[in-house]
Amino acid sequence: MSTAMNFGTKSFQPRPPDKGSFPLDHFGECKSFKEKFMKCLRDNNFENALCRNQSKEYLECRMNRQLMAQEPLEKLGFRDLINGKSEAKNEF
Amino acid sequence: MGGLWRPRWRPIVFCGWRWSHPGSPARAAERVEAFLRPGWNGKGDAEWGLRWLGTWTRTSPPARDRAVQPPRRPKSTNPFTRAQEEDWRRRNKTVLTYVVAAAVGMLGASYAAVPLYRLYCQTTGLGGSAVAGHASDQIENMVPVKDRIIKVTFNADVHASLQWNFRPQQTEIYVVPGETALAFYKAKNPTDKPVIGISTYNVVPFEAGQYFNKIQCFCFEEQRLNPQEEVDMPVFFYIDPEFAEDPKMVNVDLITLSYTFFEAKEGYKLPVPGYN
Repeated sequence: MSTAMNFGTKSFQPRPPDKGSFPLDHFGECKSFKEKFMKCLRDNNFENALCRNQSKEYLECRMNRQLMAQEPLEKLGFRDLINGKSEAKNEF
Repeated sequence: MGGLWRPRWRPIVFCGWRWSHPGSPARAAERVEAFLRPGWNGKGDAEWGLRWLGTWTRTSPPARDRAVQPPRRPKSTNPFTRAQEEDWRRRNKTVLTYVVAAAVGMLGASYAAVPLYRLYCQTTGLGGSAVAGHASDQIENMVPVKDRIIKVTFNADVHASLQWNFRPQQTEIYVVPGETALAFYKAKNPTDKPVIGISTYNVVPFEAGQYFNKIQCFCFEEQRLNPQEEVDMPVFFYIDPEFAEDPKMVNVDLITLSYTFFEAKEGYKLPVPGYN
């Protein structure tokens, strides 16, 4: 795919992530939150919009346990979830 | 007889003249050659004078070559048009110099264009890939485009020399541009030794890759797995809302995110610009 060494074809340039790399969760401290999130996804046919609460909780777990740099939730795109949880549920 | 006689005389006289006039041997040879040519009547007639004038700043070839190549003569014999020809010749030379200078200048400009364009892109923010981040402000303010649902599928690969079990925990996820999404991969080290891996990613289709932004993931940094350890690796990403406005992306409904893990060895460099 991106390794086709043709002169003139644009090759894919991977970009580093904006906030860097997640440290590995060696002790499984946030595993329960992850399980909740995955269950939500499976129940809702893998629609991300319906499971944003669970993903927010997972990220909060990481931040609390020093597995992720502390960030205000608006910067992670969860602005609507901070004010009212009902807003997320009304999508779709 | 005259033809046979000429070549033998010329080198001898040329050598003699060279010794005595070190400054201008060629000029001397020309002068002498004029004498040696049959038909010279001993007086500086117009023909001979013209020939002499015609060879102005050119460094003349040695006398031997003169036999095969006649000196450059102005095309006319009229002194007035001759001056005009001189003038034309001088002007032609000037024009040629300017043209050559312009060509060299163009070549230099084409080499300079590459770093200049990059600088321009960084300051004005155009050109896509050369933009330096405005990402975190954008995430705060971006509005999900609700009517455009995109399916993101996940793929996991491992390099042959790395013995991890690496796989995605969901086969697909439905997102909309402008909405942040979380996805998980799982990796297990079944060996009895700690192994360090480093990963890179790829997005298909290629043009959609520029809209695929990762906020945080596990790529480009060495990740160490202890023996028999299994970890969850999250990827937190979003698709740029401008994806919905790109006419080239109208038919794109499926994006595939593919991660590949390599074993990190000493001095091994991933062929991509890495994070820190």
